[in-house]
Amino acid sequence: MAQVALDLDPDDRRRFRRVLAFSAVLHVLLFAALAFVPSLPRVSSPAAIAVNLVAAPARPAASAPAAAAPARPKPPKDAPVVLPKEASLPEPKPKPEAKPKPVEPPAPEVPAEREYSDVLASLRDELGEQEPAPAAAPADAGAAPGAGSSSGVPLSPELAAWLRDAKIHIRRSWVVPPGFRAQALTAIVDVEVGAGGAVGDKRIKRSSGNPWYDEGVLRSIEKASPLPPPPEAMQVEFIMVSDEF
Amino acid sequence: MRRTFALLCGLLLCGVGRAAGEERAAVVITPGAAQTFQAALQTFADRSLAPHPERAKRFREELGRALEFSGVFSVLSQKAFLGPETSSSVEAEALCSDWTQIGADALVQGELSADAELRVEFRVWDTARCTVLERKRYRQPTSADAAIVSKRVADDIVAAFTGVRGVAATELAFVSNRSGNPEVYVMWADGSNQRAATSNRSINNFPAWSPDGGAVVYTSYRVEGRPLLFLSSRGRGRPGRLLAGQDGQRSEYRGVFSPQGDRLAVVLSEPGGAADVYTVQANGRGLARLTRDPSIDIAPAWSPDGRQLAFVSDRSGSPQVYVMDADGANLRRLTFQGSYNSHPAWSPDGRWIAYESRVGGQFDIWLIDPEGVTNLPLVEHPRSDESPSWAPNGRQLAFSSSRRGRFDVYVVDVTGENLRRITQGIGDSTSPAWGPFPR
Repeated sequence: MAQVALDLDPDDRRRFRRVLAFSAVLHVLLFAALAFVPSLPRVSSPAAIAVNLVAAPARPAASAPAAAAPARPKPPKDAPVVLPKEASLPEPKPKPEAKPKPVEPPAPEVPAEREYSDVLASLRDELGEQEPAPAAAPADAGAAPGAGSSSGVPLSPELAAWLRDAKIHIRRSWVVPPGFRAQALTAIVDVEVGAGGAVGDKRIKRSSGNPWYDEGVLRSIEKASPLPPPPEAMQVEFIMVSDEF
Repeated sequence: MRRTFALLCGLLLCGVGRAAGEERAAVVITPGAAQTFQAALQTFADRSLAPHPERAKRFREELGRALEFSGVFSVLSQKAFLGPETSSSVEAEALCSDWTQIGADALVQGELSADAELRVEFRVWDTARCTVLERKRYRQPTSADAAIVSKRVADDIVAAFTGVRGVAATELAFVSNRSGNPEVYVMWADGSNQRAATSNRSINNFPAWSPDGGAVVYTSYRVEGRPLLFLSSRGRGRPGRLLAGQDGQRSEYRGVFSPQGDRLAVVLSEPGGAADVYTVQANGRGLARLTRDPSIDIAPAWSPDGRQLAFVSDRSGSPQVYVMDADGANLRRLTFQGSYNSHPAWSPDGRWIAYESRVGGQFDIWLIDPEGVTNLPLVEHPRSDESPSWAPNGRQLAFSSSRRGRFDVYVVDVTGENLRRITQGIGDSTSPAWGPFPR
């Protein structure tokens, strides 16, 4: 570097020194700032791999959380018909009819493929997290799509395989009604998994904003317990995404 | 700057986290195929003075049908139960493992009695977490249809698991020509218990509910052979002609209650004149004209806050959907795609306007947001899909379709899935109007 500086003309040399001085001051300030920050937010950056999503045909409003109404309701009214026959709105007759069976089930839609990376990028933005290095695919391709570690370090093949199995297990027990699938909902759950696979403590790390969706996520993880035994007892982060957005 | 700082912090903390053993495995999980919760319905204990073996059994069957209509629940057969088939009491503790082992997400237990009145009390359990999500009690005259209570219980169970109330206990009005003339009928949302609201052997059309569900306004040609607005009610509100006492020669094509129920948007035309949109108080007074264009302005639909109206006008040369304030100000065109767009219906959450759009000579149901930014098809079929109407929970729409030859009423989720035909029989069933939640 010194040789490079010697080859410069006097003006450039002065400019170069100013840049060097500025850089040195900036570094000192940066390390000083970091040294005096009492606690910084813990950063957890799950690695992301492309996941197939379904393009939403319609995106209805996220349902506003309605207040639970455990109070005793008013009895259904049964007002008498007071009108002449042709001008009166008929009351339901006490003759329940059999529900007509659905005749035309909807044709299955072909899901449109879409990169998931932009979704996770916006999540990271909100959480102030960094873009992790992509997790290396194990040679035997046993990794779970969308699996990674919070540090972005490639997972061991055993852990990657377990994440894949755990994911399949939870998907089987997770009921997501159409109303949730049509919304852009993501809940992140921290889960403690024992050596035998039993689910221990779990907490919503990041709410979807819809308490019923969050409850459904926790319910599915509880229902999936015990998970397949992991390589060792661990804390794991499940990022539960309603898929149609 | 914030991003840069976060990046620097992230880079440093990764190292710290690993050193401290805080590295955490993470995986993204998207939903599998399961879209319905499994419900285990116990037969409710019959606490009547004279218990009837069939009463509780019938109630369970009706509850099961109403739950399955929601599209959110499937009902497990009692043959699969490891726990008791009949509730011993609404207070009975549940052995949740008995229910999770058979795949039940929900356990519904309860008791009923039918003496001076029908009383039903129930609890619904989240079996995986072994917690009670909801407990409620209903009562009604014994002479009334017990199915009303079973539908309301089903809607409560749906709300407990999804946060959105079910619509099994709501009704639809529609028009059928099964008797030879178009008459207004009313039915449950699942299509059961259809009964006539008019039988005047004239032409009756365009039913629309009052927000309390106590009345339906409709258009009828039963007097003087010209269209006039009439009210049919359940004892609340005055039945008969809506605008009695107004100018005798005006034609009244359509009326729609405001969400507050204090006024209606109506379509009127003077003899020889074009139809225009007006508002009028529910008592027939205070008529105010909103549109004054020489073109035809029809099919008004209120926004859920009652501040705006969508309507259809051919002022551009073809029928298109427009939006204006409830006093006629700030009129703007909403639809530009397609040569014939009609029958707007504003969603209960205000975020969408459903309408019918002519494509290739037939109509499809489309959704557009009130700003006109997003416009997409909801239901498409080579035959005609018409007259969309929103369920009060905003999760489903009803419409009429000729996809099986004659017109029937269908229900579809707002996602475009779960299409079901709810009317069948002779004649055409058209102009569905989904009523409000019961009060």
